[in-house]
Amino acid sequence: MNGLMKLECALRNELMTTVRLATGGVCSVAGLNLDDSEDCKVCVTEALLLMKHRGYTTASLTFVGGDGLTVIAEGRERDGEMSAPAEDEISAALLSALAESVVMDKREGELYKITFRFGREA
Amino acid sequence: MNESELFAKYRETGDIKIRNEIAEKHLYIAAVLAKKFVGRGVEYDDLYQVASLALLKGIDRFDERKGLQFSTFITPTITGEIKNYFRDRSRLVHLPRRVSELRAAIKRATEEIEKRTGKKPTAKELAGAIGVSEEEILRCAEAGGTVSIDNSIEGGNDGMSFHEILPAADDVFEEVETRDAVSSALKTLSETERALVRCRFGEELSQTETAKRMGISQMNVSRMERKILQKLKETLGKSMVE
Repeated sequence: MNGLMKLECALRNELMTTVRLATGGVCSVAGLNLDDSEDCKVCVTEALLLMKHRGYTTASLTFVGGDGLTVIAEGRERDGEMSAPAEDEISAALLSALAESVVMDKREGELYKITFRFGREA
Repeated sequence: MNESELFAKYRETGDIKIRNEIAEKHLYIAAVLAKKFVGRGVEYDDLYQVASLALLKGIDRFDERKGLQFSTFITPTITGEIKNYFRDRSRLVHLPRRVSELRAAIKRATEEIEKRTGKKPTAKELAGAIGVSEEEILRCAEAGGTVSIDNSIEGGNDGMSFHEILPAADDVFEEVETRDAVSSALKTLSETERALVRCRFGEELSQTETAKRMGISQMNVSRMERKILQKLKETLGKSMVE
């Protein structure tokens, strides 16, 4: 069993600090180096922002260990407004630039799940 | 003129005015990305500077005929430059000092808020008072305090202090040799260059602060710093060989 942590959170700006701190802790347990941990925190924030801009009000984050760390961010409840600002494009590009194997899953043409991975320090 | 036409015209003419127009339109990307990396021990101004330079480089390299959006192309370019900057020189020099400064600021703000409100401040209140992110406050608190090496070891019954059990310091002779090599290398720099080294690596000022102190632009500080580091690297490399 490589599952390290699963958390479900409201997509509210004031909770992002808590989510980032928890992410930092999991990264450390997974053996990521400091740079990758910081990058992973940026990616988690961006993934949740992308969900929020698609109208999701809650999302789950699953952290899976093994050879590095895989993070799955998935939108859950959805009754917020869709906004999709221009910055979403930057968020998506940033995810691809920082993480390995970024997968964006869509349902009925709409993004609902983002999976990305960080490798362990050599 | 749309984005693609602007790039096509710039590629054809190489006109700096067009490049500047493109840069101004996309500077927000540099600002957005610089903000994402704040809190790792480098000031926003420095990150914005690195991101802006990467943007200019990216404009020269972008080929609109490949059908990619410029923002999609430039984001990894800027991100890569920022990460290189972190890797090259930032963390080792700035983080410890920043953490200790932040701890002192937290202590001052806590006392001030407590005196004013009669209550212990929250991380959010402290962040607002000091002007840093809530996350930095929490991480700093998590990092733990500093202790004097003269303190006696808790739980120990022989009254020993930390400095008595710490391993011996680095080889003193090696340290002297290193200092000597650095001191000789610094002599190869001009007075202005030495002043910059004193500001940036002695007093650990940011590029912006150094620029203000020396009465030059931040861009110049950045350029000079790169040149100086290259020069020192070459001089020290030679002295190692000798």
